[in-house]
Parts: sequence; structure tokens; C-alpha cells
Amino acid sequence: MKYILLMTGTKAGVDGYRAWSKSDVERHFAHLHKLNKELTEAGELVANHGLAAPEQAKVVRAGQGGLPITDGVFPESKEFLLGYWLVDVDAPERAYEIAARLSAGPGPGGVSTNMPIEVREIMSGKSSEMQ
Amino acid sequence: MKYILMMNTMKAGAGVPNWPKKDLQAHVAFMMRLNKELHDSGEFVLAEGLSFPDQAKLVRAGKDGLPITDGVFPEGKEFLAGFWIVDVDSPERAYAIAARASAAPGPGGAPLNMAIEVRQVPAGPPPEML
Repeated sequence: MKYILLMTGTKAGVDGYRAWSKSDVERHFAHLHKLNKELTEAGELVANHGLAAPEQAKVVRAGQGGLPITDGVFPESKEFLLGYWLVDVDAPERAYEIAARLSAGPGPGGVSTNMPIEVREIMSGKSSEMQ
Repeated sequence: MKYILMMNTMKAGAGVPNWPKKDLQAHVAFMMRLNKELHDSGEFVLAEGLSFPDQAKLVRAGKDGLPITDGVFPEGKEFLAGFWIVDVDSPERAYAIAARASAAPGPGGAPLNMAIEVRQVPAGPPPEML
């Protein structure tokens, strides 16, 4: 079963992160690289991407004639996706375990951020759910 | 350049499973056609639909690193319903694909004109993070 683990943050949260020292950022990324390596070796990592900064986010709707109408204004409280991990695991508990590893990533001074990670199952697609 | 196109929904808006079967099928057929077009043009990287928000969990590491799961979210929370990652030549092309997805048919076949969030996916972490 596939799960997606979503790491999100507000613009204010991202600004806070930008104030981290270089060594704190490096320690955090070392943690993520190590986890990615483990997931790859276990055959559980399907895809993983980090996203560009929220300042560049656009929201697009189809206007008249189907042409795109773009907008870049979001509410202050908007949670932006910062990155995701798509994993293929045997049980939801394993997905939660991986999410906890992400959550335990070191922040400033090496203290765990304990940031919340949203865990969502992927629709198996083909049959029942939407057809 | 890669972009992620995200369909977000409010929990209250998760009425999609209650659409008449015909409308649901037309919606899914539209999405499958869009995916096929993106495959054919070589722009498709990845697309997934997520299970409904009532199954969402929020996970944090507890003191011992073990997961603490919670299923309570604020009322106004946006949930990711599905996403595409596309590899395109320009942001404008990403916006054009987003507009196509936005116009997916809803109940009665009318275009939903839903908001699609478009974000660039950098090839790797930003230089300051390496």
C-alpha cells in the first residue's frame, strides 16, 4: 500500500527555517539523506521531492475559454507543501513510523523539530474508489 | 523544468464520492484523458490521487521517537486531493495544464474551475542547503 507523507509549513514557518545556522541546516539534511538512503535500500521509497519556496506559488483556474487565470495571493495561515515522500509499505503503522522519523529530524541546536507530518493513503486507483 | 500541480479541497468539499455515478465517471475519464495526453507529450512525471480527508492522520515523533498519530485537523484546513508532476519547457505551460485540470467536469458535466496550486519542483535542494 502506498502512502504519501506531506511536510508543510506556513510562510512564517519557512522564514523561521531560513534563519537556521548553516550547521543546523546541514545536520537536518544529513538526517533526511540518511532516511532516504534507508528507504531506498528497503525498497520503500517511490518518489521524494522538495518544492520551491512558497513565494513562487501560484494558484491557477480555468477562465472563460479554458485559459489559465493565475493568482499569487494566499491567506497568511495557508499551509504550503514543502516536500513529500511517497512510500510503498506493508502497513499504515510503517508509514507512521517513517513519518515519525521525519518529524524527529534535528532543528536548531540539534533538537528534534517534532514537526507534524500529514500521512495520507494513495488511492489504489484502478477499480473501486472512483469508478 | 518540473512543476507540481495540486488539487486541494476543504474537508467540507469532500462530497465527490456522493456525485451521481455518471458525473463521477465523466470526471475520472477526463482525468485519465489528461494523463494520457501528458504521457504522449512526454510531460508526465507522476500523478496520484489521495484517499479522502477523513482518513488523514497527523504524525509527530514522541519523546522516544515513536509515532504519535492524531486525526484532528482545524476546520479551515485544506487537504491535498491529488497532484500531478509535469516536466515542461516553461511555467506558462504548467499553468496551461493546470487550467485544463481546473476545467475538469463536475456534477452535470459543468467545469469545476477548481483552484490548482502550481509550484516549481527544483532539480535538487537549493544550494544553501547543501
